[in-house]
Amino acid sequence: MYTRLLMSLVLLAVLSVVALGQQTPPGKTHLKVGDAAPDFNLRATDGKAYKLSDFKGKKNVVLAIYVLAFTGG
Amino acid sequence: MSVDSVPANKEFAKQLGITFPLLSDFKRTAVKDYGVFNEEQGFGNRATFLIDKEGIIRHIDEGNVAVDPTTVIDACNVLEHKKATTSTP
Repeated sequence: MYTRLLMSLVLLAVLSVVALGQQTPPGKTHLKVGDAAPDFNLRATDGKAYKLSDFKGKKNVVLAIYVLAFTGG
Repeated sequence: MSVDSVPANKEFAKQLGITFPLLSDFKRTAVKDYGVFNEEQGFGNRATFLIDKEGIIRHIDEGNVAVDPTTVIDACNVLEHKKATTSTP
């Protein structure tokens, strides 16, 4: 009886550790190669708004995210 | 793309002589959708995503690796090459 309970607890602990290990660290993307890229609709320096979906079927897109325009980062 | 305002990006582009448009994600929606929002600092972490014509992610660089565009350029070339070979009868 106690052995089964102990085994269940051990299994639960192992699963918890596995689940924690699979959590994505903050600020690190959860997206993977092969995933659908989330759409965006953003204003640009030329005054226009750009949607990712506007490029569908037309162009490959490189989306470069850079840190703070005035910190040199 | 950065979380800076459009005027901040304009000044940034002017200083560096960038002629192509820079996207502003001032509301932090895209950086959150792409999972690169740094909550502590309030900005999007450095990352590069290559997205093909069908809207599928084909390459990801994150952190300091993303400073160097070489790997994503290589990935672009692979994507172009694939297209060229698949369109050849």
